[in-house]
Amino acid sequence: MSTVSLPASSSAPRRRRRRRRHVPWGVYALLAIFSVLFLFPIYYLVVGSFETPADTLNGLRAAAPSHLTFANYHSLSQQFFSSTITGSLQGFYTVSTLVSLIVVVGGMIVNSLAGYALARMKFRGRKTLLLLIIVLVIIPFQAIAVPLYYMLSGLRNTVVVQALPFIGSAFSVYLFYTFFLNLPPQLEEAARIDGAGPWRTFLQIILPNAKPAFASVAILSFIQIWSSYLWPLMMTSQPNVYPLSIAIGNLLKQQSTPNYGEMFAFGVLLVVPMAAFFLVFQRWFIRSVASLAVKG
Amino acid sequence: MSEIVLRDVSKIYDNGYHAIHNIDLEVKEGEFMVVVGPSGCGKSTLLRMVAGLETISDGEISIGGEVVNDLTPGERDLAMVFQNYALYPHMTVEKNIGYSLRLRKLPKEEIKRRVAEAAEILSLTEYLSQRPGRLSGGQRQRVAMGRAIVREPKAFLMDEPLSNLDAKLRVQMRSEILQIQRRVGVATLYVTHDQVEAMTMGDRVTVLRAGVLQQCDTAQALYDRPRNVFVASFVGSPSMNLLYAELGPDGTSLRVGSQNLEVPDTLFAQRPNLRAYLGRELVVGIRPEDLTMAGDGQTLVGRVGHIEALGSELIVHFGLDARNYVVEDKGGSAEEAEELLEETALTQHVRNVARVAPRSSVVTGDQVPFRVSMERAHFFDLASGNAIW
Amino acid sequence: MVTLTSPVPQRRRRKIWTESRVGLTMLIPGIVLIVVFMLIPFFYSVWLSLHVEIVGSNIPIRSVGLLFYRHLFTDPIFRGIFLKSLENNGIFALVVVPVQTGLAMFLAILVNRNGAFVKFCRTTFFLPVVFPMVLTSLIWKAILAPGPAGMLNAALRVVTFGHFTPQYWLGNVHLALPSIIVLSIWQGTGFQMVIFLAGLQGIPSSHYEAALIDGASRWHLFRDVTLPGLRNTTIFVVMVTTIFSLQVFDQVYLLTQGGPLNATSSVMYLAVSQAYVANNVGQGAAISVVLSFIILLLSLIQRQVLRERVD
Ligand SMILES: Nc1ncnc2c1ncn2[C@@H]1O[C@H](COP(=O)(O)OP(=O)(O)OP(=O)(O)O)[C@@H](O)[C@H]1O
Ligand SMILES: [Mg+2]
Repeated sequence: MSTVSLPASSSAPRRRRRRRRHVPWGVYALLAIFSVLFLFPIYYLVVGSFETPADTLNGLRAAAPSHLTFANYHSLSQQFFSSTITGSLQGFYTVSTLVSLIVVVGGMIVNSLAGYALARMKFRGRKTLLLLIIVLVIIPFQAIAVPLYYMLSGLRNTVVVQALPFIGSAFSVYLFYTFFLNLPPQLEEAARIDGAGPWRTFLQIILPNAKPAFASVAILSFIQIWSSYLWPLMMTSQPNVYPLSIAIGNLLKQQSTPNYGEMFAFGVLLVVPMAAFFLVFQRWFIRSVASLAVKG
Repeated sequence: MSEIVLRDVSKIYDNGYHAIHNIDLEVKEGEFMVVVGPSGCGKSTLLRMVAGLETISDGEISIGGEVVNDLTPGERDLAMVFQNYALYPHMTVEKNIGYSLRLRKLPKEEIKRRVAEAAEILSLTEYLSQRPGRLSGGQRQRVAMGRAIVREPKAFLMDEPLSNLDAKLRVQMRSEILQIQRRVGVATLYVTHDQVEAMTMGDRVTVLRAGVLQQCDTAQALYDRPRNVFVASFVGSPSMNLLYAELGPDGTSLRVGSQNLEVPDTLFAQRPNLRAYLGRELVVGIRPEDLTMAGDGQTLVGRVGHIEALGSELIVHFGLDARNYVVEDKGGSAEEAEELLEETALTQHVRNVARVAPRSSVVTGDQVPFRVSMERAHFFDLASGNAIW
Repeated sequence: MVTLTSPVPQRRRRKIWTESRVGLTMLIPGIVLIVVFMLIPFFYSVWLSLHVEIVGSNIPIRSVGLLFYRHLFTDPIFRGIFLKSLENNGIFALVVVPVQTGLAMFLAILVNRNGAFVKFCRTTFFLPVVFPMVLTSLIWKAILAPGPAGMLNAALRVVTFGHFTPQYWLGNVHLALPSIIVLSIWQGTGFQMVIFLAGLQGIPSSHYEAALIDGASRWHLFRDVTLPGLRNTTIFVVMVTTIFSLQVFDQVYLLTQGGPLNATSSVMYLAVSQAYVANNVGQGAAISVVLSFIILLLSLIQRQVLRERVD
C-alpha cells in the first residue's frame, strides 16, 4: 500500500507558485464548473426533499423553491407506519445496518485471516488457491445471483440471507493478501523470537499494523453492501425485512405518477448515514480507494 | 548462560539452493563470536537457523547442551537484534522491551523493574513512553538491544545490527554493544559483512564464504595466519596484495613478474611445506604495511598511481608488471572481479597497495622501489588457495 | 552418522505440519464462505445453463446440452435481443471507458494541489461514489423527467432561449442509452479520480524537477513526465472500468427495464430478467456464463498488457 497523503502537491507546482505568486485562475474556474455539475444532482436531492410535491418537479424553479417544508418526511413516516404491513423507516434502517454490520465485521475477520494465511503460511495448494481467488474476483455477482437464489431460497425473508453471500469475498481476501505480502516479515519473526505463537502474532502484532488494510476493506465492503439492490430484491418480499434500498426502489418503481418529493426525502434518509460517515472518514475513504491502484 | 554448538549443519532452501555446507561451530559461554563474509554467503541463514526462523536441513544445533532443532523460536529462549530493528511500531518503547516478558506471564512489577533496569543501562529512560517511530536511528538500535537484554536469554543473536547507522554512531554503538554483552555475559553470535567490525568486536571471528566455513579464530590469528587466500584477502584493510609468482628451482629466488626477490633460508625453516613448491608457480601475499620505502633489502619496483594521504600514513597505490591474483567472491561476483581487473588493466595494473610513513617523498608516476619483508610474506597454493606453511 | 541425521527430516515434517495446520485454520472460514457462495453457485450456474427446468411444475429436469448457448446466436427472436444487449454494452464501454478515464485523469490533475477550495472539490467529485445506484437512478429520473417540468429540459430551454423542445430522455430510443451513460459517469468518475490521484502522488517530484531544469514547458511536463508516470494506473483504471461497464445492471433495471425497444438492455440485465422475470433460468444462466468468460478473457488480456509494459 503506497502512502497516499491527502494534501497533494508535487513540488514542481509549488516551486513555480513561489516564484511568481501564480494563482491558477483557469484551474479554479474549471474546478468551479465541474463542482457545480457534480454537486447539482445532490443539491437537487436535498432541496427537493424539502419541497411540496408540486415544486419538486417544476423545471428550474425546483432548484430555488419559494418555501421549504418537512411535509415529505412527515408523509413518509405516516406511510411506513407498521413494520409488518408497510414496513417502517426504523425497520429499514435496522435491516440495512444489521446486514452491513454482519458483512463488514464478519468479512474483516474471515477475509483477513485467509489473506494472511495465503501471504505467510506454507501449505500445499497455496498457489492454486491464490489463482482461484484472483479468478473469482472478476466474476460479477449478478452472474451467480440466480443459482444462489435457488441454493438459499429456504432462507428468504431473513436478515441473515441478505448478508451471507457477501461475508467471504475473494476481492477482500486479495486486498489483504497483497497488504500482508508487502508487510516486512521481521516484525513477525521478532514476535516469534519473543515467544508469540501464530495466533497471538496475528492479533497483537499484525492487526495493529494493518489498520489501513482493514479500513480499506471495511469501507469498500460497506459502500457495496449498503447499496446492494439485486440480491435483497430477490430474497425479500416482506416489508419487515426490506433494507432501505429495496424500500426506496419499490417506491420508485411502483408509482406511475411519481411523488419525487417523498422519494427524495427517502433518498436523503438512505444516503445521510453513508455521506456523514464519508465526510468524517474522508481520508480513509479516499485512501482505501487509492490503495486499489497498487495491485494490478 | 550457555554455549551454542553447531554440528555439521547444512541448509538447503526449498528452491534447492544449498546455502550452508556442513558447518561446525562452537560459541562458548560469554563469548562474542562474529560471523563475517561477503554479501549472500549465508550469514543470515546461519543465524536464522540458530534462532529457529529457518528449518535445519541437516545436522544439529544445541544451546546449553540441549538440542534445539525441534524447538520453536520462542522455546529456544534466545534474543535477536535485527538489522532494521523490527521494533513493533504500535507499541511504546516500554511495551516493546517488555513484550517478551508479558508473553512469559511474569508479574507486572517484575516486568516494570526489568524494563526500567534495561532502559537505565541503555539511557532510554526518558523515552519509555514514546513510540519507536519518533526515535532516532541510534535510539531505535538501543531499544532493540533493550528488547534483547531484558529477556536474560541463553544467547544473543545479532544480524548486522549496526549497518543502518551512520559511521560515527556505528563506532560508538560497537563499544556499547560490547560493554552490554560483557555485562550480561551471554554467548553471542554476531553477523556482519564489515570485516573491521568483525575484527574489532569478536573474541573470535568466523569467516564464511558461499556457505562454507573458511576459518574460525581470534582476529589476530586470522590476520597473521590466514588459512587460505580468501581469508587473507578478506581480512585486513587495505587488503593483502596478491601476486602470481614462481619459486626458483633452487629455492633462492622468487620471480614476481620480471623482477626477482631473494629468498632467505629462514623462510623454509618457518614454512617447511614450501619446499614442495620449488620451481612451481604459486601466489605470494604481502600486506600493505609490509611494503616500506625506507631502509634497504629486497625491493619490488612499481609505478606509483594515486596516493591517499591519511595524515598518519600514506596509502600508495602502485602497479607492477606482475599478474595480480583475483579472489572471486570477495565482495561481489566473479564477473565483478573480472571487470575490476579489466578496469585496472587500463590504469597500468595499479592494483597493489603499500602503507608508508607520512611525508615520504613519493609522486604519482614515479618508479619507486618498495622494500619487502620476505619473512612476513604469505604463500598460497595456486590450485587450492590454501596457505602454505 | 546415520543415527544422527535420520531424525532430522521427521522433525521438519512435524513443524511444517503444525504451521500448515494453523494456516488451514485461518483459511477455512473465508475459503469455505467463498467456495460455497461464489464458486459453487458459478458451477451451479454452468449446470443450469445445460439443463431445462420448468419452474413450478413437476416435469423432471432434463439435460439440453448447449441448446441455450446456441439459442443466443440462432433463435430468431432471442438472437436479436442478445446481440442488441451486447451492442449496448459495447457502446456503453466504448463511451464510458475513455470518457470516464479521461475525465477522471483530468480532474485528478486539477485537484492535485493544496487549498481549501481544491479540497472541497475533491470531496465533491468523490461524493457520488457513496451514493447507492438506487438513489442515483432516482435523482436522475427526476432530472431527466419528460416534459417542460423536467429539470434538464427546463435548463436546456433556458440556455437556448426557448428553442429547445423538451425530450423524453429515458423513453426515446436514441436518448435513453446516452442518458444512462451520463448518470453512470456522474457516479463513477470520483472513484477513478482518486486512483489517479494516488498515481500522481506516486510520481517522484525529482522527475518534475529534472524536466524543469531541462527547460520543459507545462505541456512537456504533462506529456513526458505525468502521462508516462500514470501509465500503469491508467491501464488499471481502464481494466476496472471495462469490467464495470460489462456488468451494468442496476440503473437499467431501475430506470428503463431495458427499454425503449431494448435500446438500453444490457447483457447482465438480459440474464437476470430471463432467469428471474421470464423464469427461463437456463437461458439466463447461459448468458451469465458467456459474460463471465468474456470478462475473464478481457482481464487476462489486460493483465498481459500490464505485465508487458512493466517489463
Ligand atoms: N528463502 C530463501 N530461499 C532461497 N534462497 C534463499 C532464501 N533466503 C536466502 N537465500 C539465498 O541464500 C544465500 C544466503 O543468503 P543470506 O541472507 O544468508 O546471505 P547473507 O550472508 O546474510 O547476505 P547479506 O550480507 O547480504 O545479508 C543467498 O544467495 C540468498 O539468495
Ligand atoms: Mg543477511
